[in-house]
Amino acid sequence: MTTTKPPETSYGIGETKQLTGRVASLLGQIPTWVLWFFVVVWTIPTLGLFINSFRTRDAQRNSGWWMFWQDGANGYGSLTLDNYSDVLGTSATGGLANGLLNSMAIAVVATILPIAIAAFAAYAFAWIDFKGRDTLFIATVALLAVPSQVALIPLLQMYAGGAHLTLPLIDKTITVFPDLGLAGTIPAVWLTHTGFALPFAIFLLHNYISGLPRDLFESARIDGADHFTIFRKLVLPLSIPVLAAFTIFQFLWTWNDYLIALTMIGGNRQALPATVVIASLAGEFGRLEHLLTAGAFVITVVPLVVFFALQRFFVRGITAGSVKG
Amino acid sequence: MDRVIATVIGIVVAVGVSAIVFVGANKLFDLAPRRWSIFSTLIGGASSLAIFGLLWGNRLIDQPVTVTAIATVVGALTGYALSRTSDQNAHLAIGAVAGVLLGVLAGASIKPQWRPGIDAIALVLSVVLFLAVGVGIRSLRNTNSNMLRPVLLWGSIGWIIGAFLYPDLGTGTVAWTVIASVFAGGLLGGWVGTFPLPDQMMKRDIAVGSRKFIFLIPALAFISMTLVIPLIRTIWLSLLTGLPKELTWTGLSNYVDIVTDPTIIDFSDWTDVFTSRLFIGGIVVLIIGLVVARISGKRTGERLGLNGGSLAAISAGFILVAFAVFASVRGTISNNLWWIFAVTIFSTGAGLAIAVMSDRSKGENVAKSFIFMPMAISFVGAGIIWRFMFVARPPTKDQTGVLNAIWVKIGVWSNSTTATTVIVIILSLIILGLIYIAFRGRQAGNISVAAGSVVIALPLVWIIYKFLGPGLGGYEVFEGEVFAKPILFLTESPFNNFWMMVVLIWIQTGFAMVILSAAIKGVPADLLEAASIDGATESQKFWRITVPQIGPTIGVVVTTLIVTVLKVFDIPKVMTNGNFDTQVLANEMWQRAFTELDFGLGSALAAIIFFAVVPVMWRNIRQMQDQRAST
Repeated sequence: MTTTKPPETSYGIGETKQLTGRVASLLGQIPTWVLWFFVVVWTIPTLGLFINSFRTRDAQRNSGWWMFWQDGANGYGSLTLDNYSDVLGTSATGGLANGLLNSMAIAVVATILPIAIAAFAAYAFAWIDFKGRDTLFIATVALLAVPSQVALIPLLQMYAGGAHLTLPLIDKTITVFPDLGLAGTIPAVWLTHTGFALPFAIFLLHNYISGLPRDLFESARIDGADHFTIFRKLVLPLSIPVLAAFTIFQFLWTWNDYLIALTMIGGNRQALPATVVIASLAGEFGRLEHLLTAGAFVITVVPLVVFFALQRFFVRGITAGSVKG
Repeated sequence: MDRVIATVIGIVVAVGVSAIVFVGANKLFDLAPRRWSIFSTLIGGASSLAIFGLLWGNRLIDQPVTVTAIATVVGALTGYALSRTSDQNAHLAIGAVAGVLLGVLAGASIKPQWRPGIDAIALVLSVVLFLAVGVGIRSLRNTNSNMLRPVLLWGSIGWIIGAFLYPDLGTGTVAWTVIASVFAGGLLGGWVGTFPLPDQMMKRDIAVGSRKFIFLIPALAFISMTLVIPLIRTIWLSLLTGLPKELTWTGLSNYVDIVTDPTIIDFSDWTDVFTSRLFIGGIVVLIIGLVVARISGKRTGERLGLNGGSLAAISAGFILVAFAVFASVRGTISNNLWWIFAVTIFSTGAGLAIAVMSDRSKGENVAKSFIFMPMAISFVGAGIIWRFMFVARPPTKDQTGVLNAIWVKIGVWSNSTTATTVIVIILSLIILGLIYIAFRGRQAGNISVAAGSVVIALPLVWIIYKFLGPGLGGYEVFEGEVFAKPILFLTESPFNNFWMMVVLIWIQTGFAMVILSAAIKGVPADLLEAASIDGATESQKFWRITVPQIGPTIGVVVTTLIVTVLKVFDIPKVMTNGNFDTQVLANEMWQRAFTELDFGLGSALAAIIFFAVVPVMWRNIRQMQDQRAST
């Protein structure tokens, strides 16, 4: 083998030469192999859960999921759909089917509300001039890194008993937010998700809407269109891609949420979403452990379908600047 | 089925009401320039509705429905009447009369327990004080203006505070309540009547200028309600202690409790770090890395030659040392720092590696979407998925978790002469290959390939030593017999912490990969081309061009990951619930606040999480200001 001499280096890091021939081509192959090794490692956990979810309790307990293709009691003879019918049925788990409905109810509303509210605000921040606009915008968006933990206790207090402000000096209390008995209900989760989502939603939509061509707005205004008409007829149709990106992001975020639903709904079993139902099943560590595989797969399948079907929008939503708190 | 219907109705109502309110508000202000009287009527009605709605919401009035309806009609009529005349004195009269009417309505319907007593001194003092303030402000701002407006406005504020808010409630008579609210209403109504008469210009300004409020108020109200005010309140609550209903002031003692609690931070075993094998191994690897760097540095005339090989060894050594420290200093805060350190480094590192390896390779998109897939899975789901990976069963039974199955298998091989021979031969061949590559690389002057091969060979040598010597894998010899010895991934402290971090690393690597991959594709192609023409190798191009170019993006990924890790709650909750020494701040906060109902301590922990995020927020703000300044 020979090494060809590269042109004289002026790159400033001393004498370097290229490896050539078989060694170099072998080395060139390595990254691809390592990449696919990563892919296999990254997929195995989900694949294992998926296969295990079709195996009987005994098979799951006594042999690894990779034995599913073998003969015998723990092999393909053990494949079954019972785990799915058991976990969805009401008896064993307190009703994952009901939980899925609740998840859907939470996710749909908690996606629509922030989009609607944030789209208006993003438009105002981008195209309506007023004093202090930049400061207000930066203050709003800075909040997107705030962890939701800091708001949980006061919010729960507010949902459980309303918010009351005691005026200083005169010692009188006024009610700012009435006690609507929201604690333990799905609307409490809607309100919380909506508020928490807004800084990120405004940030994401603002980035897009402020990038629309200025001429468009000026010619519309010359034609006598007001802000509401411009928003409705111009901005909304043009912003479909970013609205889709945020919709998918927020839908998965609320579908996958555990903390807020657990805190705000708590003991009201009727209103619990699927994640909380599954997590409490996981907390029991015992008799029903074999249903956990099917349950976990059921709550995972919705995000996975959304992810694979709408990957382009999903990735855009995530990458657009997700420092969400 | 009725649950579905109830849900659908809820959704429709929520969305419908918001849409109607929003569109209605926009349409309403559209009316201002063209149909002033309709606009004025509607605004009048809406203002009364808002004021009486507030009284209703505070449960202050009897028969709220009727009273509020009447008030709305009175307000609307007032608005209409005001729009039909352009005489300023008539406006004042109409406003005052309407205010008196609404005052009678309110005063007569206030519930007995809210009727204010009479405190003449406070009333006079309050009115005089507020009048002085109002008139003072006005004369400072504009010396020769009409004093009627500030007198009416500040007089009414002083009156309301002196008559309603200061005295004891529930002691007054109906007569005084009515008189008090008639005065308040009359003054406020008079103030409304003194608004300057609108000309066409002003009507247009109202229509245009109101838009920013209509567009922004819903968002700002929601954000204040769910983020800003709760944030402030959490910090306030962190200074209190006691049961949820009877919190009392305690100053900083919650924070003191946290810092002095041994379950939250515990230095008692920190000297163990010096005797731990991890620490010693880490130091050794670190030294090897520095030596390799020094040797390759000599070739290129630098003090330390940082290339793939030396950097890998140095960072591996650094990570091992850091892990040794985290493993000996225990407690929640140490766990959290460990989480931040491990997840940030491994996710960013693996994400960067995958982004580089997949760049322009065959099947790039397929590979990337499989790595990214865990981002779509909930933390709860991921925790359960990995619980099955980490299963440890008794030594006499087959392992059902992938990781223990592999680990025990390695132990079996390590005890079989045939398997050991095969493995040692294979590894030796690989090492020989690496040495050959290192030799060729040295010959070609490509230090980074040479150093890289040496560094990769080192752990293989270590594995051969383990196989030939003490043995490797999950087994244990007891009275001459060999037993399986699975790793108790989730229960054996302190490394159970790390195994839980693996779950988050598994999730977040895809995030780092996607963002860094986009950044790598954004590196200007002509820069790389110019470097190739100058004879730079692939690795030189990577370290000298790509890495500096994507530096800011790495910063974004790291800060995002730090925020994500600080909030991590679901994974510990599902996998161990903080048992076995695996507590983290977010889970500790939740347990203290919502299981033990210690709102003070829970708030203090939440506040600590928030304070930890403040630098990230600060960085974001600075970045946005720079962006705004540059455009």
